[in-house]
Amino acid sequence: MQKTTQVLAVFCLMAASVTGMAASAMAAPTERYLHVKVEDAKEGESVKVNLPLSVAEKILPTISKGNLHEGRVTIGHADMNGIDIKALLEAIRTTPDNEFVTVTQKDQDVRVAKSNGNFIVHVRSHEKGNENVDVTIPMKVVDALFSTSKDNELDVVAALHVLSDAGDALLITVQDATQHVRIWVDSRGTTE
Amino acid sequence: MILLGKIALGITGTMLAGLGVVCSEGMVEVNVVERQPEVHHVYVLAPAMLMPIAAHFVPRHKMGEAAHQLRPYMPTIRAALNQLRECDDFVLVDVNDRDQHVEIQKLDGSFVVDVKDQDETVHVSTPIRAISSTLEQVAASNEETTN
Repeated sequence: MQKTTQVLAVFCLMAASVTGMAASAMAAPTERYLHVKVEDAKEGESVKVNLPLSVAEKILPTISKGNLHEGRVTIGHADMNGIDIKALLEAIRTTPDNEFVTVTQKDQDVRVAKSNGNFIVHVRSHEKGNENVDVTIPMKVVDALFSTSKDNELDVVAALHVLSDAGDALLITVQDATQHVRIWVDSRGTTE
Repeated sequence: MILLGKIALGITGTMLAGLGVVCSEGMVEVNVVERQPEVHHVYVLAPAMLMPIAAHFVPRHKMGEAAHQLRPYMPTIRAALNQLRECDDFVLVDVNDRDQHVEIQKLDGSFVVDVKDQDETVHVSTPIRAISSTLEQVAASNEETTN
């Protein structure tokens, strides 16, 4: 009788731990935040914005103003300059990691590349206090952005959704003599 | 004597239950400390449920313009507030300059706004549920006026 009780107790304990593990596995996924941080050393100012990606995903489809409708931004054909963006992206996606564009000028260097599944743009300006711009966008996000059936639309909601599934990523940094701008994604609810 | 005790118990129970219902949506907290030119301190702690109730008693015609302006944004506000309720606590905006610090955050189901500068400190905390139901009340008043 005592042995049966012990077996039952062990069984209950195991069931409880399995249930606990299943519950934690089924728990809501960790919230992801889009962070924007602007610092102006000269003025001694800083602005930090932390927006949960899930909130942005829910809000955007409800906004219908200007070029933004149902979470999609319409680009005028004039802005495309006759370029077939989707064909261009397909070409970039299928090529191995590479440096596509390198422009070296007296006042500015520009580099466009694909590396480790990221689309990368670096701009180094030697004028006006050496302004540097670095953009690193995961290719999956770029794909989602252009995943609509229309050629002149960007699906911002789809891009946000993919971004929320991607890991922590530093997306954009802009640095000039006085100001520093950073845009990144992680799972922390504060900037610091 | 036992009857009196039962009545007292009933009244106390009813009061406690009423208090529980009134406070069920949380509390609105406003704390303002002015340091200059004179020191003033204003502190208000009120049940958040009073917000939509108060909005209900505002005359419809006085609410008209506000409601008219609010209605187009209600789907966006609704989506934002519903999703914010689901989120963990986070700091939405943090602005620092030489003299002022402004912080807007979601904390324990409330929106908390803190403004600090040399002259004054302002702290306002409002439950998101109360904001939601008050705005719904205001927007609905426009519908009723229009229909």
